[in-house]
Amino acid sequence: MKLRPGVPIISILTAGLVGLSCAEIASPNRSEAYEWRLITATGPGTTDTLSFHWPRSRLPVRVYTEDSLNLPAHVEHGLQTWEAAFLYGEFAAEVVADSNLADIVVRVGSPIKVGFATSFERVAAPECEGGTGFDLPAGSSVIQAPVRVFVNPRFDPSSPGVDECLSLTVTHELGHAIGIFAHAPDPGDIMFSDPVVSELSVSDRATVERAYHLEPNLTVAPR
Amino acid sequence: MRLIFAVLIALPAAASAGHAQTDYYARVGVTGSSKLARDRVIQEIEVHSSLAPTLVLGVALPFAPTYRAGLEAALTTSGYHVQELDTDSDLGTLRTVSLVLGLDGPIAGRLGWRGGVGLLGYWPTEEEGIFLRGGSTRFLIGGGIDFRPALMRQWDLMMSLRYDFHRFTTEELTARGFTGSQGVHRISASIGLARAHP
Repeated sequence: MKLRPGVPIISILTAGLVGLSCAEIASPNRSEAYEWRLITATGPGTTDTLSFHWPRSRLPVRVYTEDSLNLPAHVEHGLQTWEAAFLYGEFAAEVVADSNLADIVVRVGSPIKVGFATSFERVAAPECEGGTGFDLPAGSSVIQAPVRVFVNPRFDPSSPGVDECLSLTVTHELGHAIGIFAHAPDPGDIMFSDPVVSELSVSDRATVERAYHLEPNLTVAPR
Repeated sequence: MRLIFAVLIALPAAASAGHAQTDYYARVGVTGSSKLARDRVIQEIEVHSSLAPTLVLGVALPFAPTYRAGLEAALTTSGYHVQELDTDSDLGTLRTVSLVLGLDGPIAGRLGWRGGVGLLGYWPTEEEGIFLRGGSTRFLIGGGIDFRPALMRQWDLMMSLRYDFHRFTTEELTARGFTGSQGVHRISASIGLARAHP
């Protein structure tokens, strides 16, 4: 069988493809991640490291928001901010109208301590404060839903800066609620104990990505 | 890009002028693709698209006794998913459209070759994850073979195998610190009808 003159074009294309196909995309360095797990004292000289993330089987996580102080808008923004941190659909949330159906409940008020103590009640931005409570019965590794998020204005809610403070505090507290138990060491991170930035930093994103790709030792009770 | 658009505009006009010699065809088939991206957070992660139903439309005009130049458009739609260890998670639906400007000619009998370059666009149904900042348009190079046995007086059966290659990345991946791009190989098999030529 005699090949026609055009056939060498295919050979040239093939050779070009082989040359082009060698390199692979290179992952970013996520070394900026900070410690997100909660290290708790369990006795004299002994500690336990608690880690948690919402499992894929539980997505979208259901979030109830009290309709007060512009909280629904702040929560929507906070959830979108955290969802955008993930490349592979590791976390998704939806707002629900009934708190009985919620995995996370966001309300105005002071944090109520239930189960294991949250060490991140106070946000030092002067206009408001926030906190997140996890119901983890003693000796258990199963968190009882809902996780409760509280935010509280320290001044008249119409005062300058309060709305902005509530917005970044909600995002910060939702970070705890989705599994970043500890605070970031850098003021440039939303998870800094006294957050001043309103968006996630490279470190925040790297941290939450690591948190969602490492097997946690806490789970959440079935709905 | 401008060249392809110019050809897109010029082809119909040329086709009407040389209607008798114009080759056109439509096929349906499936397209398989190698991984779109890889990553490592804790373990290795790979993003794949599923086997995609494909619609191909093409038109070509002769420019030499045995060669034709033409434009082939292929539309695919499929799910895409992420694999990490043994876990496979759905990420949504991904559509692609490719436009390839190419040449074709005979190999032997009713067997022909085809090769070309073009553009491939990715359109996710949801702008999230690796597509958070939208889809992606990439340069494409590819080729294949066509087998066209006569079916009816005016129509040939057209069975085609295609291979193409492009380098994949997205604006979001770049913004997140990924460097380079992923070489993606695609193979498609399709069957359809082509206008018969005496």
